[in-house]
Amino acid sequence: MAYEYHRSGSLEEALVLAAGDDSALIAGGTDLLVALRKRKRPAPRHMVSIRSLPELAEVSEQAGSLHIGAGVPMADVLANTVVREHLPALTAALAVIGSRQIRNVATLGGNLCNASPAADSAPPLLVYEATLELAGSSGRREIAISDFFLGPGRTVLRPGEIMTAIRVPLPGAGAQSAFLRRSRVAMDLATASLAAAYTARDGKLINLRLAAGAVAPTPLRLRRTEAFLEGKPVAEETLAEAAEIARSEVAPISDLRGSEWYRRELIGVFLSRALRPRSTRMKGSA
Amino acid sequence: MKTLLRFQLNGREVAFEAPPHARLLDVLRDIAGLTGTKEGCGEGECGACTVLVDGRALNSCLFPALEADGRSVVTVEGLASREGGLSELQQAFVDEGGAQCGFCTPGMVMSAAALLAENHSPSDDEIREALVGNLCRCTGYTQIIASIRAAGERIGKAATQ
Amino acid sequence: MSEEHFIGVETARPDAPDKVSGRTQYVHDIAVPGMLWGAIRFSDHAHARIKHVDTSAAERLPGVKAVITAYNTPEVRIGFLRDNFALKRDKVRQYRDEIAAVAASDPDTAREAASLIRVEYEPLPGVFSPEEALVEGAVLVHETDARGRPRADNVVPVRFAHHSGDIEAGKRASKFIVEGEYTVPLIQQSCLGTAGCIASFDARGNLTLIAKTQIPFLVQRDFNKALEALGLEGRNVRVVVPALGGGFGTGLDTHAYEYIAMLLAWRTGQPVKILYNREEEFAYLSPRQSATSRIRQGCDENGKLTFREIEVVQDNGAYTSWGATFPSVMLVPATSLYRVSNISFESKIVYTNNTYCQAMRGYGNPEITWPIESSIDELAEQAGMDPYEMRLLNCNQPGETTPMGLKITTCGLKECLDRTAEKLDWGTNRGKGKGVSRGFGMASVINVAGGGKIYRSDGSGIILKLDDYGNVNVSYGGVEMGQGLHSALILTVAEAFGVKPDQVVINQTDTATCPWDVGTHASRGAFMACNAAVMAARKLRQRLFEWAEEIYPQQVEESLTKARKHNPEFREPEFDWRAAASRDRFELADGILRVQGAPDRPELQVELGRLLRAIHFRKQGGGTTFAEEAFYEPPTDLPDWERGYGNMSATYAFGTQGVEVYVDEETGEVRIVRLVAAHDVGRVLNPQTLRGQIYGALAQGVGYALYEEVHTDKGRVLNPGFTDYKLPTACEMNFPIHIELIETNDPEGPFGAKGVGEPGLVPTAPAIANAIYDAVGVRIRDLPITPEKVLRALKHQRAGSPVR
Repeated sequence: MAYEYHRSGSLEEALVLAAGDDSALIAGGTDLLVALRKRKRPAPRHMVSIRSLPELAEVSEQAGSLHIGAGVPMADVLANTVVREHLPALTAALAVIGSRQIRNVATLGGNLCNASPAADSAPPLLVYEATLELAGSSGRREIAISDFFLGPGRTVLRPGEIMTAIRVPLPGAGAQSAFLRRSRVAMDLATASLAAAYTARDGKLINLRLAAGAVAPTPLRLRRTEAFLEGKPVAEETLAEAAEIARSEVAPISDLRGSEWYRRELIGVFLSRALRPRSTRMKGSA
Repeated sequence: MKTLLRFQLNGREVAFEAPPHARLLDVLRDIAGLTGTKEGCGEGECGACTVLVDGRALNSCLFPALEADGRSVVTVEGLASREGGLSELQQAFVDEGGAQCGFCTPGMVMSAAALLAENHSPSDDEIREALVGNLCRCTGYTQIIASIRAAGERIGKAATQ
Repeated sequence: MSEEHFIGVETARPDAPDKVSGRTQYVHDIAVPGMLWGAIRFSDHAHARIKHVDTSAAERLPGVKAVITAYNTPEVRIGFLRDNFALKRDKVRQYRDEIAAVAASDPDTAREAASLIRVEYEPLPGVFSPEEALVEGAVLVHETDARGRPRADNVVPVRFAHHSGDIEAGKRASKFIVEGEYTVPLIQQSCLGTAGCIASFDARGNLTLIAKTQIPFLVQRDFNKALEALGLEGRNVRVVVPALGGGFGTGLDTHAYEYIAMLLAWRTGQPVKILYNREEEFAYLSPRQSATSRIRQGCDENGKLTFREIEVVQDNGAYTSWGATFPSVMLVPATSLYRVSNISFESKIVYTNNTYCQAMRGYGNPEITWPIESSIDELAEQAGMDPYEMRLLNCNQPGETTPMGLKITTCGLKECLDRTAEKLDWGTNRGKGKGVSRGFGMASVINVAGGGKIYRSDGSGIILKLDDYGNVNVSYGGVEMGQGLHSALILTVAEAFGVKPDQVVINQTDTATCPWDVGTHASRGAFMACNAAVMAARKLRQRLFEWAEEIYPQQVEESLTKARKHNPEFREPEFDWRAAASRDRFELADGILRVQGAPDRPELQVELGRLLRAIHFRKQGGGTTFAEEAFYEPPTDLPDWERGYGNMSATYAFGTQGVEVYVDEETGEVRIVRLVAAHDVGRVLNPQTLRGQIYGALAQGVGYALYEEVHTDKGRVLNPGFTDYKLPTACEMNFPIHIELIETNDPEGPFGAKGVGEPGLVPTAPAIANAIYDAVGVRIRDLPITPEKVLRALKHQRAGSPVR
């Protein structure tokens, strides 16, 4: 593990360092350092720290969106009053990621860039249709979060590219959202999770978005299920049919956290629970 | 190739040389000689290595030592007065039976210190939530929770007097 | 209740202030001058012949001081069947087999060097379950036994069985019979402090081993044998035990890593420390054995138990440690939990290429109480009885001798059952769960509580030594591993000798200074230590009082002279203190010597330190110092294991736990709503540490029931860490726990106390399973009860197909 450690002072500096050969970016580092110690990935020659870069540290409301710096620790995102008030699914997800010790250090950007299929912040951000701001040595670009993940540990980030912010459109009046999750014990990765956002109008689901975690190689929008439910009134038979579609739409694996079968079952249950009128209130876990 | 690192450790300015891959835990235990902070897993699951950095509880096993530069670090050794008097929180752990084998205790105490700094009267569920990253195999947590509840009451009482 | 000062009083632990301030020194924290770090190269195969070991790259790494293998060190055999070796020469039988080891200047270099060792293997087919291992013609894990005789099969040559009464007659007398197969998983003790040791030799070849052990004296015996293998006959091992960081059974045997540290220290002439990290702890330390039990039980039309038949098969893993003797403890509940007259118990322990297993808290008892207490509920349902009523009807009684020959002296089982039922409002609540997914269940425990004789002595020695200031130094060879032994011991010494608790100091456990003790296991620590302490305190008082006959009057005279001089209103005491100063009239309490009947005047009282100094520095004829030794050997028998007969403990603990659960029928999740733990503890010594023992045991019971399992694939541990081996966190233990302490005042116990270390985790899993059945009508027979298993069973139930 013989690497050089660079604490960059500005985004520009970080971009230059990150563009060098055999370098890795480290923000909170809670996933990366464990992976290196367990030799699950090779050590880079240069570790480029972007912890508390001022450009990545801000949370602000801009034109109906919340701009969350990618380097903001999850504890701070969780404590943000705008997040708590307008983004209940994200709030619920952040509250169950790791422990306080982890959330005090691990960043929202890191949770996404690590690209774990079980990253709990991803399903809420998928249903809120967040936009990710990326910066590279050749310039800046934006990308919809639904286009970000490629596979376990793989994203569209180019070598040396840094995620700088997550922009979340704030839902309008009447919009509802929820996040449901189950894990073996409280301190655990998700066995499965589901986020839902929608508006209920005349008993019908409008502008429904669904996303699931830990049930496919990447966090996943459930577009077929959404399409089936869009504009339909919430009835038990409809939910049962939708749950069936959702179960077929996900592609889980069996591992120590749960079998493929059980994960599909959970997705169906979460779907009903998220959309049933009496349980549409924000809920932290299943 | 080591880097000089300066930070405040339990209220005193310190300087150490540390290699780039050193964890804050390694500097505290192996260089500063403060062995109260324990390594229980090395992967942020057990919380035995919990310390406060700029007032926030974190796993020192996941924190690069070089990132401590310029910050304030408090370990379990920094809670008691120099003469060895225990803090209210530590005394509550003694009185309520919050320590058994004691290996998780420093981390438990530090997580509790961070919680009580922001909330003097946490509910039992708030205490549990704050301890989710601290494993204990001896106590079943019951008397740890009682210790933290008692400490909160004492600190709250002292603050209102 | 007797009039003790300290016994039964809520008291803070003596070790707590150091623990809360980070001062306590565990093996992890200890470094000795010149110390090297050791690291082990483990096997890459579950079963293979070792063709060649190339250590050259490791030897070349800067900082490496020695690399050892079985080829360049003497053979050191370990384990009670001597079927294991510190370093493996010809063949590896499990992934954790130690092939080579390195001593280096720091732990990272040592580990890196270990990884540079190249091993060539010839892989062999393996056997990874008892079923596979028992097939005719299965590959043999050990081709020969320790004496080199060929082995015919994979059955470990230890036998524990019991047959009493007439099973067939029992079956004929049965109106109802139930049968079931129950399994328990491999689980890890999960001490927060990982395993480690420091070995150092003096120039004469004597070894000091700082060891994370629960059995310092048995370790000494094993290591003295190992010194002989090094050609160091007549040399000695001193075992020093630091603060443990949790034991739970991990310290009940010697480990290869300890012998390897010894070999490295001998090779380098420097102290060597080996410390496991968490991954190594999971992958390379012996966990709790998995087991499968088949049980048949019957009752007559009234619900009286008619027979019990159990066959247990345990996966021993590749070598034999104490896990193989779990059936010795299983015999206790198998024969003696509730009154059953016709009993058959058979056990088989089988070698496989899985990790070899060792002891954990409860030692066979949770494994067998799981089928027994689940099956009692199944039987009660068959018989149309309330399971609580069935348990009451068959309840153990004080004064009975069980089929195993256990002499039940005091027995609070009926009270435990009653209190549990009362606290849960059992009569109203049970059986109403279906439809609301809420259920109630209970299960009981019998456990050894006055030692557990599995060795030719089950005794404990103790030395009480007085210093010149009235402090009592206690040397006891058992181990404080977090359970509160020292707290109980301090209160006992203070009470029995007559000082304040803070005048009692417990010395570090060290074979050089402490008398022999068989080890801290079987819930025996406080029972033995405190009984020995009471005996030694009596001797100490006796000798002190003999000396006081001469010294006390001198001291009183001195005080009176001083008082006459300084106090103008002084009046001579009317009490004849000279005449009263006799050994049978002295009283010592709170560190003050008085005589019976004396008025409460300071001149007539002598502070213990002053008395001791006066005795020590006595002018005419010389003085003395005080130290007394006592050895307590409980009045028990070493059982005949093949017959399963013998009174192995001086008393037995009983308990009942009751649980209310809620089952989420859509996800299969089980939530504990509340839990009652009623335990017959004999007598409470320190309520705080006693509660700590029960709360902690309950969390382990909940972990066993719902969460914990070491997963393996062809012998490889798949979840070597807390990321995927889930212990209950504080958030899982989020339900009210009601502890009921039943005091039966056992005549053999110190102040009436029984051992309490293990019983609290024994009945938890079956109580939860019984409550789940009450809630939703599905019976899970294999631990842990994961949501997935519950949901699958519920789906089968809804589909009308039988589960399993």
